Amino acid sequence: MKDFESQWQRLVAAARQAPVADEAAAPYGFATRVAARAMSEPPPGAAALFGRFSVRALYLACLLTLTGAAANYFVLAGTEDNEQNLIDPVSEVFTNAS
Amino acid sequence: MVDEGFDLPACLGRVRERDQVAARELVEHLYPLVIRIVRSHLPRRVAEEDLAQEIFLKMFTRLDQYKGAVAFSHWVSRIAVTTCIDQLRAQKRRPEYRWADLSEKEAEVLDQVLTSEGDVAANDALAARELVYKLLGQLKVEDRLVIRLLDLEQRSVAEISELTGWNPSLVKVRAFRARGKLKKLFQELERKERS
Repeated sequence: MKDFESQWQRLVAAARQAPVADEAAAPYGFATRVAARAMSEPPPGAAALFGRFSVRALYLACLLTLTGAAANYFVLAGTEDNEQNLIDPVSEVFTNAS
Repeated sequence: MVDEGFDLPACLGRVRERDQVAARELVEHLYPLVIRIVRSHLPRRVAEEDLAQEIFLKMFTRLDQYKGAVAFSHWVSRIAVTTCIDQLRAQKRRPEYRWADLSEKEAEVLDQVLTSEGDVAANDALAARELVYKLLGQLKVEDRLVIRLLDLEQRSVAEISELTGWNPSLVKVRAFRARGKLKKLFQELERKERS
C-alpha cells in the first residue's frame, strides 16, 4: 500500500495544480428564474404542516377503525345467536291458532 | 464567493417574508459557492445549471429549518453536497478503464507516476486531473466523494463529517476502502500495460 500511497499522492498533487474554471457570477437570468420559482411555490411551512397533520390524521383514522372493529367484533360475532333467540311472532300466531 | 458588503441576516429576513428581490440577491450571493461544489462533484458537467437550481430550490424550501447554529454558507454547502450525492447515485458507474482507453497524455502521466519517483510535470496537471476523475469514476459514489474531498480539496475528516453528515469513523472507513479499490485499479492498469 505504501508504494501506491506515494504514487496516488503524487498524482493528486499534480491534479490539484490544474486550473479550475471559476465563474464569479450566475448566468444571466438564472437568479431571477430561481427566485421567481421559489417564491411562487406555497410557503413550505404550510405545506409541511399540512403533510404532518395528514399523516397524523391517517394514523388516527387507522387507530379508530381498528378500535371500532375490535369493539364491534363481539357484537357481530354474537349476531347469529341473537337472531336464533329472536321470537318469531308469525310462528307464534300459527302455534297459538292450532 | 464572499461579498463582504452583503447583509445576509437582513436578506434572509426578507426572503422569509417572500420577497422575490431578496431571493434573487441571495441566489446571486451564493451562486459561486454552489457552482463550485456542483462542478467539483459532477465532473461530467451533467446539466450543472439544473443541479444548481435544484440546490437553490431545496435551500428556499428548507429555509425555515435554518436556526443559525452553523454558518449559512456551511448549511447551504451541506445541501449542495447531499444533492450532488443523490444525483451521482442516479448515474451509472463508468465502465472499467483499460490502458488503451486513456488519452496519450493521461497514459504518460500514469506511466510517470507508476515508474518514477519524481513529481508529475506542472504542464501535465490537466491530464492528471482527468486521470484522477476517471479513476474515481470507478468507485462508489460515497467513496468517490470522500477521496475527492480528502485528497483533491484537502479537507479534514472533521470537515467532511460536517459536510456529509457521516460520522468521522465512517469517513475514515470509506477513505480506507476507496484507497484499497484505487490500489487495485492501479495494479490492474499496470498489469494491462505490461501485457
